[in-house]
Amino acid sequence: MNHQNLPHPQGVGIAVQDLKKRLGPNQALDGVTLNFQAGLMHGLIGPEGAGKTTLLRTLLQLLKPNSGTILYEDEGKATPFTDLRPSIAYMPQQQSLYADLSIGEHLEFFKELYSIPEAEYQQKSEELLKITRLDKFIDRPAGNLSGGMYKKLGLMCSLLRSPRVLLLDEPTNGVDPISRREFWDLLYRLADQKILIIIATAYLDEAERCAQVHLIESGRTLAEGEPRELLKLEGVPNFDALFIARSKRKEGPHATHT
Amino acid sequence: MKIARIKAIAKKEIFHVVRDPFTLALALLLPVMMVTIFGLAIEFNVQNIKIAVYDGDQTQSSRKLIDTLASSGYFLIDSFPTQFAAIHQVDAESDRAALMIEPEFEHHLWSDRGARAQLVLDGADNSTVGSVVGYFTAMQDLATHKILGSPITTPVEVKTRFLFNPELNSRWFVVPGLLVVVVGILSILLTSLTVAREYENGSMELLLSTPVEPIEIILGKLAPYVGLGLSAVVFVYIIARVFFHVPFLGSHFTLILGCVLFLSTYLAQGLLISVTTRKQQVAMQIAMMSGLLPSILLSGFIFAIESMPLFFRGLTAALPARWFMVICRDTFLKGSSLYALRYSFLALLLICTVMVVIASKKFKRDVEP
Repeated sequence: MNHQNLPHPQGVGIAVQDLKKRLGPNQALDGVTLNFQAGLMHGLIGPEGAGKTTLLRTLLQLLKPNSGTILYEDEGKATPFTDLRPSIAYMPQQQSLYADLSIGEHLEFFKELYSIPEAEYQQKSEELLKITRLDKFIDRPAGNLSGGMYKKLGLMCSLLRSPRVLLLDEPTNGVDPISRREFWDLLYRLADQKILIIIATAYLDEAERCAQVHLIESGRTLAEGEPRELLKLEGVPNFDALFIARSKRKEGPHATHT
Repeated sequence: MKIARIKAIAKKEIFHVVRDPFTLALALLLPVMMVTIFGLAIEFNVQNIKIAVYDGDQTQSSRKLIDTLASSGYFLIDSFPTQFAAIHQVDAESDRAALMIEPEFEHHLWSDRGARAQLVLDGADNSTVGSVVGYFTAMQDLATHKILGSPITTPVEVKTRFLFNPELNSRWFVVPGLLVVVVGILSILLTSLTVAREYENGSMELLLSTPVEPIEIILGKLAPYVGLGLSAVVFVYIIARVFFHVPFLGSHFTLILGCVLFLSTYLAQGLLISVTTRKQQVAMQIAMMSGLLPSILLSGFIFAIESMPLFFRGLTAALPARWFMVICRDTFLKGSSLYALRYSFLALLLICTVMVVIASKKFKRDVEP
C-alpha cells in the first residue's frame, strides 16, 4: 500500500522517517518510521513507555528530534508545520486543564486562543455541550469533574474550532466503560469529516476501531496496516495475541545472546 | 501577536489569582505586614533606653548630669547604690548601659583634671550601642553647659543640620524604602510561580500546542501582576503620606516611571526564574534568594551601601532594588528631578532590558526536559 500511488488525498497527512529522540538516559524514539494518511483515524498502539507520547510531542514540535524527518503534507503538498499549527488540535495524556476554571470558562478561553468567530463559537459550543451532555455542568470547575467528564472537556476544547488534525494521547485512560463508549461515539462523528486523527492508546481493543493501526514498542515500529488485515496476516484472533507474538519474535534473537 | 489572546491569558491569570487563597493572601497581606513590621515595629530611632546609674558623688553637679539624661526623653534612669549592682544590670541585660559617677566628680570638676564618669555598654548589642553613644555624647555637652552654667567654650563650634530630614526621623527614611521591598517581593514571587505552575500542571503542553505565541503568554501573564504591583505602590504611598506623614517633594510622574521600570525588571526576573526552573518549589526559593534578600539587605534599605565591602558595593550595581531605592527616597524626601536621577534610571533601564531579553529568549515553545 504505497502512499504515493494513491490519488491525491484530501486534508493533512504526516510522514515520519527514521525519527530518533533521546530523553535523558532513555532512547524514547529509536528510528521510528510511520505514515499517517490524510483523512483516516490512526491508532498508535503500544505498551507504556513505547514512545507514543514522545512521538506525538515531536509531531507537534514540542520536542525536537535528534535525527530523522517529519513531513507535513496538505492536499498532497509539502507544508511547513507553522502553517498547519492553527489547524492541529492536541489533547495531552496528563491533566492539562485548569482545575479552578469552569467548563464554560475553559471554552471561552480556548475560543480566544483559537480566534473563533462568536457565531461559530456559539453554535459549536452548544452542539458539543449537548453531545457530551456536559451542558448541565457548565459552571463546574474542571477540578471537580469526574475522570470521564474531564476527558470530554479536554476533547471539547480541542474540537471547538473544527481542527483538520487531531492528536489524542490516551484519551480514554482511566475512564469508565460507559464514558469510553460515549467518547468513541464522538470520535466516530469526526472520522466522517475527513480529518486526520492520531490516537495513542494502550487499550488494544481500541485499535480495532481505527482505520489504520501502528504498533510501536521501544521507540520502533513493530507493524502497521489495516487492523483486520494485520490480524489475518499474522493469523491471530486479536491484538493482544498479535502484540505478544510480535514482541516475542523481536526479542527472540536477543534472548539467545543473553 | 493578537491582543485578544493576550487578554484571554490575562483574564485566566486573574481568575487564578482571585481563586487561589495563597496568591491572594500574598498579594493583599504581604504589603500590610511589611508596612506594619518595618514601619511600626522596627524602630531605628532609639528611645527610652534603660540606663543603670551609680551616683558615687551625690552632689549637685552629679545630680544635674543625671537630670539632663532623664529629661532628654532618650533615657530611663534606674538608680543603684553600688557600682557592682549597676554593672550587674547590664550583665543581666536589664539595662542597656550603666553610668558610673566617681565619688570625687564635683571636686574634680573644678580642678584641672576635669570631672570623669564612666559609661559601661553591652558590646554584644550592636544595634543600640551606636545610638546610645551618639545620644550620650550630645547629652554630655548639654550637661557640661548646665553644670558649669556657661556656654560651651570651645573656640570652634561645629553645628550639624540634617538636610531633607531635619529630625532624622527614621520612618521618613524607611517607609519610602518599603516601596522597594513590597513591590520587589510581590512581583518576583508571584511571577516566578506563574509559568512554573503551568509546566507543573501540564497545562503548558496544551497551551503551547495552540496558536498562542510565547510573547502573548508572557505579556498576558505579566499584565495582571503589573496591576497588582502598582496597586501595592498606591497602598504603600497612601500609608506613607497619611499614617507616617512622610513628605513627598518630587514629581509623581518620576516616581511612577521608576515604579513601572522596577516592576518590569523584577517581573522579567521572576519570569526568567520560572521559565528556567519550571518547578514552583525551586522557583520560589530562587526568587527569595535573588529578589527578596538583596532588596532588603543589599539595596541600602537597612545597611548603607557606602559602608559595604568593595565586592558587595560592586554587586549592588547589578541589583535593580538598589537603583529604585535611590529613586524612591530621593523623589519622596529630596524632590529630585528625573534629570538628577538619570543614572539610577539608566541603570534600571539597562538591567530591565537585559532581563526581558534573556527571559523571552529562554522561554521556548517546547516541553523539552
